Amino acid sequence: MEMMTVKIKRFDGRNSYYQKYEVPYEKGKTILWLLTTIREEQDPTLNFTSACRHAICGSCAVQINGNAFLACNTPLDDVLDTYKTMNLTFEPLKNFEVIKDLVIVWEPKMEKMTKVKPWIIPGEEGSKEIGFLQSEEDFQQIAAPTDCILCGVCASECNQLAVNQDGYLEPFILNKAYRYIVDTRDGAPEQHLKPVLENDLWKCLHCMQCVSQCPKTIPLTDQIAFLRSATMAMGELDNQGAKHAYAFHDDVKNKGRLNETMLPIKTDGLVQTALTKIPFALRMVKKGKINPLHMPKQISGIQEVRKLYEYAEEVKS
Amino acid sequence: MTLTYAFFPGCTLESAAEELMISTKKVAEALGIELIELNGWTCCGASHIQDIDNFLSTSINARNIALAESLGVSKLLTVCNTCTLMLRTAKLKMDKNERLKEQVNVGLDRAGLQYKGTVEVTHLLWALLEDYGLENLKKKVTVPLKGLKVANFYGCHIVMPPDVMGFENHRNPQSMEMVAEALGAECVEFDQRLACCGFHAVFPAQKEVMTMTGINCLSPKEAGADCIVTPCPLCQMQLDAYQPDAQKRFDQDITMPIIHLPQLIGLALGISPEELAINRHVVDAIPALQRKLQLA
Repeated sequence: MEMMTVKIKRFDGRNSYYQKYEVPYEKGKTILWLLTTIREEQDPTLNFTSACRHAICGSCAVQINGNAFLACNTPLDDVLDTYKTMNLTFEPLKNFEVIKDLVIVWEPKMEKMTKVKPWIIPGEEGSKEIGFLQSEEDFQQIAAPTDCILCGVCASECNQLAVNQDGYLEPFILNKAYRYIVDTRDGAPEQHLKPVLENDLWKCLHCMQCVSQCPKTIPLTDQIAFLRSATMAMGELDNQGAKHAYAFHDDVKNKGRLNETMLPIKTDGLVQTALTKIPFALRMVKKGKINPLHMPKQISGIQEVRKLYEYAEEVKS
Repeated sequence: MTLTYAFFPGCTLESAAEELMISTKKVAEALGIELIELNGWTCCGASHIQDIDNFLSTSINARNIALAESLGVSKLLTVCNTCTLMLRTAKLKMDKNERLKEQVNVGLDRAGLQYKGTVEVTHLLWALLEDYGLENLKKKVTVPLKGLKVANFYGCHIVMPPDVMGFENHRNPQSMEMVAEALGAECVEFDQRLACCGFHAVFPAQKEVMTMTGINCLSPKEAGADCIVTPCPLCQMQLDAYQPDAQKRFDQDITMPIIHLPQLIGLALGISPEELAINRHVVDAIPALQRKLQLA
């Protein structure tokens, strides 16, 4: 009989350690089957959460061999095939406080979510009498974000959260904010958006982890791009993130390519650049990586590129 | 057999990562790969322009791909993860959505171009495996990189999101290891192999990104690597050029040389470090390479 070696990170409230289990391999099972089998047949003290077994309740997400998975809808065979191994290491989700073994604490995350006012702030168009009606098209806007089951996979994989848990919002919180901002029944989108901006929206690293691991394939990174666009539409342009994005936008329009020498100045301003970037600039110049006298020439076809800008403006309006 | 690709260098290759332009051209020549640089390519938007205007971001990359289509080649090749992602994202959106494609083409028509969808967007790393073949690559190796311990740092945008990139399993890619081992190098296992370099937010999240840079250097260092090798010039710049800034946040010595994938390949093909412009890195990689290799 083929055996799997399963190492699980245990935590008893004080100490953490890895415990090893040998489990006979069975074809066609899920990750949740594996955890349940260990608890039922080998170790009743092992703690993990699960309930619906149908990817609806979102309670069984865990880390396996370095990535987050929803245990109930992840085929064991897929995981063994991904890592080309019969050795699996289970850990609790990252970027969460751990209560015991694989069980994490959700309360602080829910508390944090209230920052974005995760409820509808009714607009003037609806009322108790006539209701709050939505067209099919309007409803489709919130179809994907409401697929979120709050499993925490996105937060576990988020690279910004890993170094900035206090400041940054979990991708599922950004998703929640997005869901109310685009909801046509909501009358105050800025009340959801402002806290998003104030909680380091521009610090998203664009690493694509959240969108790549979400078991519900919610387009989280498109949402982040939308949220950034929405803050700029609200007039929030005087920040590093917006200025940095506009540096690229404007350089492509003017010359076709990025002017790397001017990028820090366009993003941070002359004074801040002089204060913080001089050692960096000097080492770049010394190695021939930046030539301050080199200015990119206009590309051939720049007039055509500008026509694309004009057309994009027409499409927007 | 000569492989011919349309070539999209991307902005960093013209300035901060000119050494990648130099080494890519040297390696392509040595392997008999013809690269035809697109005339009039623009910046891909570098994962920023879509924050201002998603449609514009798609349109400028549709133009880049259309330029490649007009060359009559089947593939457009890049050496930058983010350029690959931005070009492939635009392509996937238009190929999946006929209405969007038609709308983008209205704009392109004014620029005298049409996006048809006939050209595939690839990265040098993939092209080596898919088109050139590891066996052919091995035959070109004159200086096997025996004894050199490399840490393969993939960078996010060559594997994620998988529905756009899709070349290999994003949770456990092996392409870098396959190429490095074909060159005779030894790949070290390290925790940060698939980590994010943080480059795209180095301005708004400077403090956080410098911490990440330090961790990304320390992890392979502790695993015994001689150098990091990466298929992305943005990861290279973040880990190399910002390394002295990251060092300030760490008590331990984080020093780790960072080289580009074509530079690693070039060394195995017998090209000298100077010809591959390895002398242009902020953290000098040459002493670490010299300790292990008989360099040309």
